[in-house]
Amino acid sequence: MDDLTEMLKGTLEGCVLEIIGGEETYGYAITRRLNELGFADVVEGTVYTILLRLERNGLVQVTKRPSGVGPPRKFYALNDAGREELAKFWAKWQYVSSRIDSLKEGGR
Amino acid sequence: MNFWETITGSDLTREWKAVEARATALPENYRAAWEQIKCHLFPHSDFTGRNLMPILDAALGLLEETAADGQSVQDVLGDDIQGFCTALAGGQGARTYRDRWREQLNRNVARKMSRLGG
Repeated sequence: MDDLTEMLKGTLEGCVLEIIGGEETYGYAITRRLNELGFADVVEGTVYTILLRLERNGLVQVTKRPSGVGPPRKFYALNDAGREELAKFWAKWQYVSSRIDSLKEGGR
Repeated sequence: MNFWETITGSDLTREWKAVEARATALPENYRAAWEQIKCHLFPHSDFTGRNLMPILDAALGLLEETAADGQSVQDVLGDDIQGFCTALAGGQGARTYRDRWREQLNRNVARKMSRLGG
């Protein structure tokens, strides 16, 4: 699906948190995971800026590991604050999606 | 940073040279992207450009990492290099004179509006 960027803006951070919450991982793998999910427009640069923000807000633990080629790769894992943020994200998502669904179904 | 460096910016020149040296090691199309990134980031600069150094360093780090992976620069940055740079600069909390002007403008407008009873 095209042109999801605007709609995804507020939720992509939560998606990235969820992926990191599953297992410690790095930027490229996160991007590929999102692409596989069907978010084809998401590029590594987008994920990278989200990761920087998560790091700055103290939600992730960063470990540098040497990679086969090039500079060391940064691996990300959730810390306690990150897990808390992730739970908040799903609560908010639940709220928004249930409201929008009921709007669509003409209810209240 | 000592006094001499603060005044002359000699540390910046040195850092800048190091960054540019790293950039020349990038593949051709990555270098083109790097030039664009610089263009889009400069408006976020403060008076000396000191605030940009960590951001440029982060951006260059990403380019180095992904170039070594053999990814295409298109896969990494997409079409929206400007958006990437804005997110990068905003994400790092690099405030510029523009932010201050914008705030000032918003404040003034809000004050005038409230006087009009709007």
